[in-house]
Amino acid sequence: MQTWTVPTLNKRQSRKRYWSFFWRSYAIQASWNYEGQMNLGFLYGIAPVIDRIYGDGTPASLEAKKDAYRRHLAFYNCTPQTSSFVLGVASSMEEEYARNPTSFDPNSINAVKSSLMGPLSGVGDSFFQGTIKVLAFGLGVNFARKGSILGPILAVLISFVPAFLVTYYGGKLGYTAGNKFLTKLTKAGIMDRAMYLVTIVGLMVIGSMIASMIGITTPIHMGKAFSLQKTLDTIFPQMIPLAFTFVMYWLLQKKVTTGWILVICIVSGLVLSPLGIFK
Amino acid sequence: MLVKAILLGLVGVLGNLDSRFLGRTNLEQPLVMGAFVGLVLGDLTKGLIVGASLELVFMGMANIGAAAPPDLVLGSVIATSFAILSHTNAQTALTIALPVAILGQMIGIVLRMFMSTFNRWAAADIDAGKFAKARRLHILWGLLLNVSMYFILIFLSIYFGTGVVKVVVKAIPTWLTNALTLASKILPAFGFALLMQTMLTKKTVVYLLIGFFITAYGNLSVIAVAIFAVLLVLVLNEILPKKNVATTTEQNDDDLEEL
Repeated sequence: MQTWTVPTLNKRQSRKRYWSFFWRSYAIQASWNYEGQMNLGFLYGIAPVIDRIYGDGTPASLEAKKDAYRRHLAFYNCTPQTSSFVLGVASSMEEEYARNPTSFDPNSINAVKSSLMGPLSGVGDSFFQGTIKVLAFGLGVNFARKGSILGPILAVLISFVPAFLVTYYGGKLGYTAGNKFLTKLTKAGIMDRAMYLVTIVGLMVIGSMIASMIGITTPIHMGKAFSLQKTLDTIFPQMIPLAFTFVMYWLLQKKVTTGWILVICIVSGLVLSPLGIFK
Repeated sequence: MLVKAILLGLVGVLGNLDSRFLGRTNLEQPLVMGAFVGLVLGDLTKGLIVGASLELVFMGMANIGAAAPPDLVLGSVIATSFAILSHTNAQTALTIALPVAILGQMIGIVLRMFMSTFNRWAAADIDAGKFAKARRLHILWGLLLNVSMYFILIFLSIYFGTGVVKVVVKAIPTWLTNALTLASKILPAFGFALLMQTMLTKKTVVYLLIGFFITAYGNLSVIAVAIFAVLLVLVLNEILPKKNVATTTEQNDDDLEEL
């Protein structure tokens, strides 16, 4: 397999890259959709890094670039402010993969993204939406009630400053720390093993998200005595979301095109809900 | 009125850009939206006061955890406008604005469902080597669709009044709302399946199930599962046969990074 030389960034280029992580994390929700959520936003965020690696215009680099773009179409969802950290880590991994395509499994990039996005959304949302927002607007409302313009201004400033710091320095930290660890792993020759272990973390986090982020239930019941959902819950809770995910997975394994699966998803919603089977 | 309706529509656009383009810096909050509406309508003080009341109302809604809370930006821009234009208080104005906010919520669901097709188009563009076109789906078309929904809804409600919207909202049957909600829950399952596709093997499916059951049975959050996952991986690292015994410490460093 062809290896690529990825020159390290000089100081000016680094700063430019961190700003790009910053802005592109902020814009990550521009095309939020139910299927991939912020996936196109993540692709948009990491695109400059990919373009720089595979920029020489040869047919080989074009194919590698297509693969890299496709890779980042995978499901992604994370608080914008903490997304820049994930962008940073993923960028360092893309560069490492380009340098060592034989010893590096590119699927581990999405495994790492999945491992990071769940916990970082949890922390990010409770910090920014829970703590900072309540603080900022609790204060702002008090000023505004008296008709003071300081209310909204203060509220936005208090919201902005921590968000700015976390987003900018998060991207920087993700990229530099990612680079450091990956170099270490390569030197020690344990990349394969690390990739495998990272995939395990990724899969466990995805499993947890299936149990907590889908929430399909069934309203089927007979009188007050029997509710199918309750019966299912006694066997194991969140059975229906798991079943739906594996049906989708099975369809993918059967090589059903994603466009058709998308249609199936929407049509089954439109049919199964009025029939009273799922809600 | 035409000019005011356009300007108020633009305030709504700013509110929407906040979450789509500006990392949710809370410009979309009723307090800030209210101030902008006040500026546009020439009564900043009233805008601030109404915005402050609405802020508290919406904070309350978020705390109750209402299943589909009415759209924040539409609710606050239209309610503040009506409060100023018709000299009513925030609560009354919000009841007038509510149909629009609910309609907005529904159109939003359809929009986000529709944008799932962007994934197909992006994939096709990438196959064809049209990388810039794939990026534009996100940064141009995604933004444009979102923003125009807000602009059009606010413009119409201010220019023609919310009466028309009320009729439309009443005409939407509940079964359709429920059906769309179900479809919007099924689509993420597809997203997860796509994600699993690159990682899942017969050997590793057990880890997906461990993560699933920890949350399903134990009601533990994704953060908790991530912590358990890292710890499990550290244990596995001890147990699994090692090709290179001398290098485990660096390994641990990397896994801790996941936290």
